[in-house]
Amino acid sequence: MNEVEFAYRVRQALNEGTDQLPYRVLLRLEQARRTALARHKVGLERPLWIPALRFSTGWGGLAAVDQTAPAWRWIRRLGLVVPIVTLAVGFVGIYRWHEDQAVAEHANMDLAVLLDDTPIDTYADKGFGVMIRDEQGI
Amino acid sequence: MATREELGEFLASAERRAYKQALFALRDEDNALDVVQDAMLKLAEHYSDRPAQELAPLFTRILQNSIHDFFRRQKVRSTWVTLLSAFSGNQDSEEDPLETLEAAEGTQAAESAADQAERSQIVAIIEEEIANLPARQRQAFLLRYWEDLDVAETAAEMGCSEGSVKTHCSRATHALAQALLARGITL
Repeated sequence: MNEVEFAYRVRQALNEGTDQLPYRVLLRLEQARRTALARHKVGLERPLWIPALRFSTGWGGLAAVDQTAPAWRWIRRLGLVVPIVTLAVGFVGIYRWHEDQAVAEHANMDLAVLLDDTPIDTYADKGFGVMIRDEQGI
Repeated sequence: MATREELGEFLASAERRAYKQALFALRDEDNALDVVQDAMLKLAEHYSDRPAQELAPLFTRILQNSIHDFFRRQKVRSTWVTLLSAFSGNQDSEEDPLETLEAAEGTQAAESAADQAERSQIVAIIEEEIANLPARQRQAFLLRYWEDLDVAETAAEMGCSEGSVKTHCSRATHALAQALLARGITL
């Protein structure tokens, strides 16, 4: 008899042994089971996560969330990513434009000071910088 | 998520085997029942949101961990008892845990052998010999052949290599066969 056959017969004996447990033990096991079941997480369903900017499939409904084809999931993810990327590119563009404007304004003031068209105190006067910018049509 | 009914059905199907496994390891009915109850509570409290198919491997792992925890706690308690008893002058009133353990084991074996029919006697002897196996061999044998885990799952459960599982199972089988043969039982 090989190992598996022997183990199978031992297993049968062990299963028979579980049918012959004393009543006291069976009662305790049943009580333990009831106590455990009383602590079962009743009604605590796992939350369904849906992205706030979920791309609408047009068929709507929460039930469609996990039942759509992988292609639709990718489109949905793309629908979420494209606006974010566009927004980020827009922010960067605005920042760069604003930075160029500030550099041009300072350059005009520096030029005016270097040509002795205006005193050095001009740097402390914000209104003067605005005047020069308006004069040069920036 | 496993429903209450699914959890109940699973526990009802697994509780007897779990108790026997705990009894083989702990050799004390009350401690085995406590460990099984502890494992059931942990499963229900922490893992009842898992799918019903995952309950069996989770319960097996929780039960094995609970048995290990019991031994760990017992070891710590024994250390403190030993330390405190060294300061105590009266040794006669001390209760030796080993004496209690041996008495309980003997009583259970004697009852099983005396009160059951022939088949029951054989089952009891097999259970006794399984309980006498070295802990790791017994664990590997029961997980592999009673809990139906494959070699890889058993290895993961025991925290050892697959080769060790095969070795433990093989040694357990041979030791069990020899022990049963010595007692006049051939399967």
